[in-house]
Amino acid sequence: MSVFKGMKREIESEIFTGSMADISFLLIIYFMVTSVFSATRGLDFALPDDDRETPEIKQEDSIDVFVQPGGDIMLDGNLMPADQIDEQLLKYIADTLKDNPKKPVILRTDPEATYGNMIFVFDILRTPVEDGGIKIETISIPTQREMQNIWTMLGIAQ
Amino acid sequence: MAVIRGREKKGGGEIFTASMADIVFLLIVFFVLTYNTEVDRTQVDLPETWVRTEVPKKAAVISISPPDQGEVIRVSTGEEMSLPVSTIEEVVTFASTVVAQDPEKEFIIKADYGVHYEKIDSVLDALKQSKVKIIYLLSQQKTVGT
Repeated sequence: MSVFKGMKREIESEIFTGSMADISFLLIIYFMVTSVFSATRGLDFALPDDDRETPEIKQEDSIDVFVQPGGDIMLDGNLMPADQIDEQLLKYIADTLKDNPKKPVILRTDPEATYGNMIFVFDILRTPVEDGGIKIETISIPTQREMQNIWTMLGIAQ
Repeated sequence: MAVIRGREKKGGGEIFTASMADIVFLLIVFFVLTYNTEVDRTQVDLPETWVRTEVPKKAAVISISPPDQGEVIRVSTGEEMSLPVSTIEEVVTFASTVVAQDPEKEFIIKADYGVHYEKIDSVLDALKQSKVKIIYLLSQQKTVGT
C-alpha cells in the first residue's frame, strides 16, 4: 500500500516568465508609436449667452484694438507698432480703465492679418494680474458679419 | 612568463537585468496614463502664448491647415477622426448638430499661426451662429526669447 511513500516525487510548479520582457517591450513600442504628445492647452473664451441681455456697446465707450496685417495695431485709432505692443498696450488700457473699469475691449482683426498676429495681442490682453496683467472686465471679439451689422445699423458704409 | 596561464580565472561578465521588468512596467503605466488618441492629424505650427488653459479631452475640434496646404478646414466631434469640409455652411451644420446633442460642448480651434484671419473669422462666426458657448484656441507654450 505505502510502498512508494518515500519515493514521492515533488512536482515543480513554476510560471514561466521568460517571455514577459518581450511582451512588455512590445506594449511599450505600441504605446510609443500610437500615443500623441499633442498640445492640449490654449486660450479659452466664452461667447455671450443669447438669453442674457447684452448691453449695446458703442465704439466710443470701449477700447478699440484693431490688429493690422504685419502685426501692428490701431489702438483707438492710433498706430502702435508691433514691437511696442508688449510694453505699451497694457499701459494704455490700464490708464483708460482708471476712469471706467468696466470699459470693454473690442479686439478686431483685419481679414488679411494672420491668426498669429491676433493671438499675439489676445495673449497680452489675457495676461493674468499676478503676472503683470490688468483686470479687463470684457474682451469682445466681434466677427466681420457682426461688425457689418453694427455699421449697417449706424448707417456707416465700410 | 606563462606560469599561471592554465589557472587564469574567468571574469563573470554579466549584466544585472532583474530590475529591467520594473522599469519596463513603469514605462507601460506611464504610457497608459498619458495615452491620447488623436482625432485630427493636421500638421500645424500653433501660435505661441504665455496664457494657456487645459482644454477638455472630448471637445469638438475644428482644424485649419497652413496656407501652403490650402487652409483646409476639418471637423471632428472629438470622438471620431476629423473629416474635411468644403464650405463654411458645412461647419455651421456640423456645429449645430453637435450643440443640439450637447449644448455644453466645448470647441477647439486648431489652426496654423500663418492662417489668414478671414478664415478664423468665418469659423468663429459659424460657431457663434451654432450657439457654441466656449471656444478654445489651441496654442503652444511661449518661451523667453520667442
